[in-house]
Amino acid sequence: MTATQPLLDVSGLTISFRQGGSDVAVISDLSFAIQPGESVGMVGESGCGKTVTGLSLLSLLPPETAKVSGRIGFDGVDLTKLSPRDMQKIRGRRIAMIFQEPMSALDPVFTIGQQISETIRAHFPVNAREARERAIDALAAVGIPLPARRYDEYPHQLSGGMRQRAMIAIALSCEPRLLVADEPTTALDVTVQAQILDLLLALTAKSGTALLFITHDLGVVAEACSRVLTMYAGQLVEDAMVDDVLTRPLHPYTSGLLRSLPRLSAAKSVLPAIPGRVPTNAEWQAGCRFVPRCSHALIACDAPQLLRGEEPHRVRCGRYSELSLPGVLP
Amino acid sequence: MTPLLSVEDLRVYFPSGQRGETVKAVDGVTFSVGAGETFGIIGESGSGKSTLARAMVGLIPPTDGRIFHAGQDIATMSGAEFARHRRSFQIVFQDPNAALDPRMSIGQTVREPLDIVNADSRADRDRRVLRLLDHVGLNPELALRYPHELSGGQKQRANIARALALEPKLIVCDEVVAALDVSIQADILNLFARLQAELGLAYVFITHDLGVVGHVADRIAVMYLGKLVEMGSADQILHHPLHPYTKALLSSEPLPLPKAMRTGTRIVLEGEIPSPVSPPSGCRFRTRCWMTQDKCAEKEPAWLKYGADRWNACHFTDFNRDGEASDRAPSAAMPPAH
Ligand SMILES: Nc1ncnc2c1ncn2[C@@H]1O[C@H](COP(=O)(O)OP(=O)(O)OP(=O)(O)O)[C@@H](O)[C@H]1O
Ligand SMILES: Nc1ncnc2c1ncn2[C@@H]1O[C@H](COP(=O)(O)OP(=O)(O)O)[C@@H](O)[C@H]1O
Ligand code: SF4
Ligand code: SF4
Ligand SMILES: [Mg+2]
Ligand SMILES: [Mg+2]
Repeated sequence: MTATQPLLDVSGLTISFRQGGSDVAVISDLSFAIQPGESVGMVGESGCGKTVTGLSLLSLLPPETAKVSGRIGFDGVDLTKLSPRDMQKIRGRRIAMIFQEPMSALDPVFTIGQQISETIRAHFPVNAREARERAIDALAAVGIPLPARRYDEYPHQLSGGMRQRAMIAIALSCEPRLLVADEPTTALDVTVQAQILDLLLALTAKSGTALLFITHDLGVVAEACSRVLTMYAGQLVEDAMVDDVLTRPLHPYTSGLLRSLPRLSAAKSVLPAIPGRVPTNAEWQAGCRFVPRCSHALIACDAPQLLRGEEPHRVRCGRYSELSLPGVLP
Repeated sequence: MTPLLSVEDLRVYFPSGQRGETVKAVDGVTFSVGAGETFGIIGESGSGKSTLARAMVGLIPPTDGRIFHAGQDIATMSGAEFARHRRSFQIVFQDPNAALDPRMSIGQTVREPLDIVNADSRADRDRRVLRLLDHVGLNPELALRYPHELSGGQKQRANIARALALEPKLIVCDEVVAALDVSIQADILNLFARLQAELGLAYVFITHDLGVVGHVADRIAVMYLGKLVEMGSADQILHHPLHPYTKALLSSEPLPLPKAMRTGTRIVLEGEIPSPVSPPSGCRFRTRCWMTQDKCAEKEPAWLKYGADRWNACHFTDFNRDGEASDRAPSAAMPPAH
């Protein structure tokens, strides 16, 4: 679609965990790209591999048990080939990540300000005073009132919304090229979620930071992203522009996710739930992994399915061109 | 007709901190729920919904005010009378693990309320457990499994089976689908609807998800910092809101619609919900309300009736707007369901 070189170019990413003597696959042959400044959503039910994918981009998976193969191209460099030391220079500086529960990412024994200063000093040759000034600016930029005073407060002294702002301040303090946001608003009230979304979008637009936005909320995707990746059982099953997928999804799973939203059905009517549940890794088949839950499955679906279709809409379903699936519009 | 559940000027305060402060978690709430009805309660976290839920079923004693179960004040019941009574008023929580004992099999958990009542034989109780599991869509084989062997959706079904064991008339559902994936959530919502149709159950459905509440509720109350700010039919509240807080809440919900269809302007509230230890004077919402005026700090707005069963508390609600399309009804922007 665009001639620019993608910022992130993941291809054939495969991840497994060593468990009780055997390897358990969690991500199979994942390929996608993100352009500079682009905002891409990633959706799918619990356990489909969204967080693992996000963590792998920053080499944050436990090295003792996680096995990562394939290519993670970032600015032309394959991150899977980097030494831990070289990766450290990129993490926090070029690629940053924020999480659903800020308490797990913030260190309880250091003040918010110290944590931002430390990130800045790890990547820029500035002295303590300059780092402090930049950290206070970063707190102000995320809308934290009285930033000079908040600098000296500890994470537990802040409300959930303020902690999320502080984590964003840390993540964006070095103006990374890519921000991986893993359900950053899921634990927040809709009113505070609206504030945080506005903030994230404004700040990433200003610095030209690309966003990989992991969420289970299709409304958040519609609001915050231009493209969306749908994950199912460790595979990418659909990659499309948000407006296209909302109006005309090509994968039965994506369509099922959209149609099960209570908003789209008449009040009190029976909701079109997707029958069954996500298969465990042990139940993954060589063919389409959605077969047991798909109302369109045929014998041919038991053969491996490739991601196909025309850019920018790719789908892992052999029947996509014959099916006409409903999206959010009746 | 006597309502199944009614709450009159209910207050629940908790002592807090060293300085003898009081958390006014619920601070003067009045409503009632009829048999077979679904009553939704929405509001931000910290507004007092869970405290209200627990008080409604007698799990927390009220500081003031009264709770009636089928017309009878629960404070006047004897211990034994209340124990018998409680069976008809059950509660299910958000965390599917909260009410499941990890050392008890699913079958034992569902049977426990029957064991306590001890009305029929053990064999009858076991048979009833299998019927209950089947009823909530769980394979009866799961009776022998333990909570850690079940998925979140299966555990929530087990909790519902347990709540159903004593044939209640009303179930308070506190964020019961919040922790579940959308497709499983759809399944559980369908289950609730089926049980209501089959058993004539009433629900008090507490949720922060406006899509969910719009789907299940007949009537909705909106709660803010310990008080109700608006109450009415689901259609009135979601499509013709009167209160500035309800309007802000509705407009902050991100809609899964293509860009061209997301037309409503959004009201982004500033700040977060204040502490219930010292709520703002006058109108509690005034520190975040974009319509606030001097009067709002001086005088608390009265809880006034607007039409048949519609209530609202704001000094500046235009009386004549009741029933008319509101200038801000973002959920009305969703395409009509077929
Ligand atoms: N450190 C680990 N060791 C072994 N298995 C893991 C590890 N981390 C994740 N997994 C497994 O990898 C799979 C994908 O997990 P992941 O956390 O990426 O899911 P997710 O899509 O983010 O789900 P959710 O929506 O619940 O956050 C799951 O089967 C999970 O149990
Ligand atoms: N046992 C308790 N002791 C002290 N404060 C409490 C207790 N339970 C709830 N609260 C406080 O009461 C307020 C309302 O809480 P809650 O009913 O859980 O709200 P919601 O369910 O709407 O999020 C909150 O400020 C909460 O911290
Ligand atoms: S390949 Fe077959 S089973 Fe898989 S999603 Fe397509 S139609 Fe359904
Ligand atoms: S009374 Fe005043 S502050 Fe309260 S909701 Fe109405 S306008 Fe806003
Ligand atoms: Mg995750
Ligand atoms: Mg609660």
